[in-house]
Amino acid sequence: MTTDKVTVTTLVAAPPKEAFEAFTQQIDIWWRRGPRFRSAAGSSIIRFEDDRLVEVTADGALALGRISAWEPGSRLVLEWLGSRLAASERTEVEVRFDAHDTGTRVTVEHRGWTGLNAGDARSSAIGLWWGDLVVPYQRHFAS
Amino acid sequence: MDLRIADRDRSGVSGLDETLAVLADPTRRVVIDTLARGPQSAGALATAAGTSPPAMSRHLRVLRRSGLVDERTDSNDARVRIYSLQPDRLGDVRGWLDDVERFWTAQLDAFTAHMGGR
Repeated sequence: MTTDKVTVTTLVAAPPKEAFEAFTQQIDIWWRRGPRFRSAAGSSIIRFEDDRLVEVTADGALALGRISAWEPGSRLVLEWLGSRLAASERTEVEVRFDAHDTGTRVTVEHRGWTGLNAGDARSSAIGLWWGDLVVPYQRHFAS
Repeated sequence: MDLRIADRDRSGVSGLDETLAVLADPTRRVVIDTLARGPQSAGALATAAGTSPPAMSRHLRVLRRSGLVDERTDSNDARVRIYSLQPDRLGDVRGWLDDVERFWTAQLDAFTAHMGGR
């Protein structure tokens, strides 16, 4: 069982290919501004550059994520670099684009933050217990 | 970029780092899991986790320092230490998850508005 993720979803009125392009190519336009969403106090640009998602500021580029899967019109996976977890903890953000009627269901899943599903048999019990804490915070999806 | 929760509560975030680091150890997770069912002595915890008493003592010290676990003296025997879960620290984790969800909900709302506005 997987309990270490947050899932958020939305519907947009464009086919998956178009939604994927808007999500990636126009990210700086829609990515929110302000201190909760960008590290730079002043202006900054969010964009995909080489194998990374970066925030470009006056001081240089700050990597937000490293691209581990890039499947236009389908999905995008980033190793998330900014979640302030211990060095041994790796979090991952997957964005999926699924056709839904005439539009697209866009799903963001941010996972792997507890490191509690390491496959250690003894972790299964705490996995259940941990799940009790986590379930109210998951929307719409089970694994 | 750190989901910007650091701006809201720096101490809480570093506490979370520590909590997750402490919980990365399988023996300590067994301790937390066992204590989730009720307070236990150090000896019982060592048995439950299959470790030696000195090793358990070291784990309990880490758990106590992190604020995850409380220690008190057994009311019947002052030589026996009883350990119990201190749930506040786990609330940090839950609060952080809540922040993660708010962060992505806000971003997807913005993306949805962007797609609808063309």
